[in-house]
Amino acid sequence: MRLVIADDEALLREGLARVLEDSGFDIVGRCGDAEALLRMVEARQPDVAIVDIRMPPGHGDDGLVAAEEIRRRHPDVGVLVLSQYLDSRYAARLLEEVPAGAGYLLKDRVSEVAVVADALRRIADGDCVIDPTIVSRLVARKRARGPLDVLTEREREVLALVAEGRSNGAIGERLFLSRKTVDSYVSQVFTKLDLRESPEQNRRVLAVLTYLRST
Amino acid sequence: MSRLRDRWTPWVAVAALVLVVAVTVAIVRREPELSLAGRRDAALATEIAAASLLVAAAVATWRASTVFAMLLTGTALAWLATEWNTPVAGPVFTPGLVLYAAWPALLAAAALHGLDAQRLSKPAVVLLTVAFGSGVGLLGVGSAVVFDPAAQGCGECPTNPLLVADAPRLGHALGQIGLALTAAWAVAFALLALARIARASPARRRWSAPVLVPAAAAVLLWGVDAVHGLERGFVSNDPTDRTLRLAEAGALALVAVGVALARVRARRTRRALAQLVLDIGAAPMPGEVRAWLADSLGDPTIALLYRLEGGEWIDAEGRETALSPPAEGEATRVRVAGQDVFAVIHRRGLLDDPTLLSELVTTASLALEHDRLHAACRARLEQLRASRARIVAEADSQRRQLERDLHDGAQQRLVAVALTIRLARLRIAPDDAELETRLAAAEAGVRAAVVALRDVAHGLFPAVLAEEGLAAALEELSEQVPRLVPRSLPPGRFPSEVESAAYFATVESLRLTQHDVTVEAVAEEGELRVVIGAGNQTDSMMLQIQDRVGAVGGTAAVCDGRLRVEMPCAS
Repeated sequence: MRLVIADDEALLREGLARVLEDSGFDIVGRCGDAEALLRMVEARQPDVAIVDIRMPPGHGDDGLVAAEEIRRRHPDVGVLVLSQYLDSRYAARLLEEVPAGAGYLLKDRVSEVAVVADALRRIADGDCVIDPTIVSRLVARKRARGPLDVLTEREREVLALVAEGRSNGAIGERLFLSRKTVDSYVSQVFTKLDLRESPEQNRRVLAVLTYLRST
Repeated sequence: MSRLRDRWTPWVAVAALVLVVAVTVAIVRREPELSLAGRRDAALATEIAAASLLVAAAVATWRASTVFAMLLTGTALAWLATEWNTPVAGPVFTPGLVLYAAWPALLAAAALHGLDAQRLSKPAVVLLTVAFGSGVGLLGVGSAVVFDPAAQGCGECPTNPLLVADAPRLGHALGQIGLALTAAWAVAFALLALARIARASPARRRWSAPVLVPAAAAVLLWGVDAVHGLERGFVSNDPTDRTLRLAEAGALALVAVGVALARVRARRTRRALAQLVLDIGAAPMPGEVRAWLADSLGDPTIALLYRLEGGEWIDAEGRETALSPPAEGEATRVRVAGQDVFAVIHRRGLLDDPTLLSELVTTASLALEHDRLHAACRARLEQLRASRARIVAEADSQRRQLERDLHDGAQQRLVAVALTIRLARLRIAPDDAELETRLAAAEAGVRAAVVALRDVAHGLFPAVLAEEGLAAALEELSEQVPRLVPRSLPPGRFPSEVESAAYFATVESLRLTQHDVTVEAVAEEGELRVVIGAGNQTDSMMLQIQDRVGAVGGTAAVCDGRLRVEMPCAS
């Protein structure tokens, strides 16, 4: 799999490149700011671009803006945004603006190579990926109306995995359940929470994430 | 002492008038043909009436402007003394001889001095010198010292004690020069009076013109009489003289009316000001004094400014303002003991009358001082609040900068270190289990440091608060601290210091309790009202929150076990 890595912190950028190369990824470009990233994606057409959310020149959400730009110009290139922010708003924004083939991981995940590699593969397949820490925090929140109280422990687990961007098959593997059982859990959860199930997986992730954030 | 004198001197004026009237009536009655009044009683009555009105006006103004009143009384008495210049005057024959042409000069002096004790300009001084020189000097004393009544064939005339030597030709010449000068200064006085009226502000004109115009008319009439008598060298009592005399009486009466008008106006203002003091009593609301002044002075544009000890000017609300009047207005500063105390911004010319201004200061001083202290107090409070707000804002900005530095610097480096350790772990020999364990422990430690650092940075100042506002920040805080339960929160943006005060009030409440904390807010009536429910809140725990909320001019209080924070947020 061909990757481009954009991060202004050189030590981290090079380290990540080495780790990923060791895991069999092909790093075709490295850069330190959003403009260079866009040129590089244009020139080298990677499968996935790894983008730091905070980059020059703005040091705000430049990485997020660049991700949206990449997806607009090159629909075949997936985007993995790395962020130091735990809050879910950037993740939700990314999914709203980039319908598929996008992911949002916390930056301290980068040393967990397996997690990053898994996310990259899923993004290349057109799925979306949300960091489990962010999802678990959303699910653990106390709520004024307490809508998640109607779910069983198992159903909540399934809901979290859906929010992380996992397919029903992947959820089954994770929980040692059959695909059919997972299907019925998911439809049960959606019915209980009054959510509309979408055949497109990324739409369903956004629906769940939006639901979790807004209640 | 001077007050005592003030009290009895008007009565001296009245007594003098009675005496002079009696003498004049006796002289005119003795030989009406020789008088200016003539045979008709009405003419004499008119002369006496004009003099009496002048003295009455003088008595009315005695306290307010004593010099003016004395000059006016002098005019009235000298006006009657003109009738004494007659052979039948007996013992007052000589005073009549000297003073018969004195009244126009005295009237001119009174009018130029004015009710408000005007400083005399150089032309005015020259004019008065000529007036007295010609009227009392040439026509009075000058003619008297060379006039021997007996030698001139006036058998029944009393002797003239001023006589030096009989010189009829010189007397005639002196009389002619005196009359010519009289005509000249009369015209000059009329012009000066007109110029003064033209230059005056509308307010001053309103009350000075009624005195200046009839005074100028009376003096001009006398000037006409002087021209009329120029050939014979003295003012006599032919029909023309008599007609002019009657007209002069009318003009003098109008002078008295003009003085009375000015007095009535001043008194009305003073009554209004006195009423102001009664009405606003001990505790006027801010702005009430201003409204009353606007009402009683008839100027709705009036504004009051007060001066702080530091020298800055503030309005009644305590806001600092510049002492700059609008285009059609002007600012009058009021000084007490050499210090600016307050200033009145008003229509041009409104306070030109110094008596009005001094009435204002004496009558309304208590109310004004009260208002001034009130405004000063508000100004100081506002300065303090602004200073607190600046301190909080500065602290917030520093915390935000620190948050950025931690995120962008330390946290990134630590992540890179964790990655480097991971790379090392991938490259160690498979049989070096001890090194692998140590590196794994190091990596776990670094990752824990990253998590800890992120929490610290977030606690400093969440980026989401600055970027997306209170509702988003509290929602996000609830992702980190599950026991925080946000309820309804207004989605809009508020001033950043208000948002951060509400946010940190919530954070502080979370710190103070282990229970669930609910937070809800509503923006209404220009206020952001936040209610934080945290179980067992007490006032004593709220000091930090109150500091922050107070810095934005808000209040924080515990009510029914819930913290209520209200902050002004009108943008």
